[in-house]
Amino acid sequence: MMRALNFSKRNFKELIRDPLSTIFALILPLFLLFIFQTIKIPSEQFNIENFTPGIIVFGSSFLTLFTSMLVSKDRASSLLIRLGVSPMKTTDYIFGYVLSFIPVIIIQNILFFILACFFGLQFSYSMILTVLTSIIIGMLYIVIGLLLGSCFNDKTAPPLSSIIIQLVCFTSGMYFPKEMVGDIFAKICGYLPFESCVTIIKGIMNNTIEIISLKNIVVFVVYTIVILVLSIIVFKKKMISDNN
Amino acid sequence: MFAIETKTLTKKFKEKTAVNAINLKINKGELFALLGTNGAGKTTTIKMLSTLILPTSGDIKINGLDILKDRQKIKEILNVSPQETAIASNLTVMENLEFMAGVYQIKNKQQKIDELIKIFKLNEVIKQKAKTLSGGWQRKVSIAISLINEPKILFLDEPTLGLDVISRKELWKVIKELKGKITIMLTTHYMEEAESLSDRIGIMANGDLIDVGTSEELIKKSNTKDFEDAFVKIATGGEL
Repeated sequence: MMRALNFSKRNFKELIRDPLSTIFALILPLFLLFIFQTIKIPSEQFNIENFTPGIIVFGSSFLTLFTSMLVSKDRASSLLIRLGVSPMKTTDYIFGYVLSFIPVIIIQNILFFILACFFGLQFSYSMILTVLTSIIIGMLYIVIGLLLGSCFNDKTAPPLSSIIIQLVCFTSGMYFPKEMVGDIFAKICGYLPFESCVTIIKGIMNNTIEIISLKNIVVFVVYTIVILVLSIIVFKKKMISDNN
Repeated sequence: MFAIETKTLTKKFKEKTAVNAINLKINKGELFALLGTNGAGKTTTIKMLSTLILPTSGDIKINGLDILKDRQKIKEILNVSPQETAIASNLTVMENLEFMAGVYQIKNKQQKIDELIKIFKLNEVIKQKAKTLSGGWQRKVSIAISLINEPKILFLDEPTLGLDVISRKELWKVIKELKGKITIMLTTHYMEEAESLSDRIGIMANGDLIDVGTSEELIKKSNTKDFEDAFVKIATGGEL
């Protein structure tokens, strides 16, 4: 565990020293929250109570991009050769990558809530619970990034991660209700994990836990666990094949 | 007991044999250079010996430990400085040293780091981000990092590749200071480097370890006037 923590410390430093990460992880979601609240779109979707959870999940989706960039870049550099001969185990790498993004999730949430409160969101203790839930929800996006970064090189993994970000926008229900696009689209959204993420965050944040269905939890948990296991297997395999 | 011992060590990539049944015995404290042309199998050999890739067949013993059975124990006693500079680019030199000390869970971390700063004279660049360093400094830092766990065996893959003469000579000085204290295996393209630094030299070509000996022995054996000629004659089988 100490090795994983040490590795996560390095990953976090690499991340915060990349100005693009700050722009995408913090400034862009904050800007969207600001714009959509300023122009006051007459739709329930954009009420601060409904839109903030979407922004939280949208912010988390950038973790996929950062993780895939970090993992694919590490794989391309000789640093992983050095680490490959060290006593670090696959679990140390995986936990190291995952843990490094937790401070990012916390910082994101705090800033999102400060701005949301400015636009009329009532401060409540459920916000603390939401931050904790966001960390769990963030795991899904981190493991997707791990999988993409392990499967693809540093040229391919970032554009593929952008597709995930787009999927979050279009299938999570943050901008429009899924039913608007049709029954088939709505069904597909139901089987993707992004809408479930927004619903879970919305339920916790607004103290309306009853909106969270068992299906939401099952879809989220299954996707997270399956992708985590896959990423561990692929990362381990790639660690060997990259050095051949 | 040898520091490194291989028996018919072979690595195949599909149809291509990168390393062909090599037998090697390297004594403790020895500096052994693997010399060869491009694609001779030097880096693949180092990767197998340093636990990075598995051999297709054959045995490797590091300090008497079996590479397959005692992999984790072996990882604690060796280190490698890869061909390309292996440092975290956005971290400062100090942070790189601290990071790798954490990877090996070094107990007397600060003392060890201070020691390396002194040996490699890293003080003037210690707060600089690794990516802003010159090639020479990056290589120095990379080698310094590889000593963080006080390895019993150190693999240096082309340690001076692409460096200017002064940086190269500076690195040679550091490597010479390490001689005798730890077992070092280095790969190089440079005849002068192999001749000047090593106790013994192994010449590889097309995956085979063709000959092993001191530079004088190899010159004598090949009946040539200098080491470069000896290498060319041995590596090409006398065709050139």
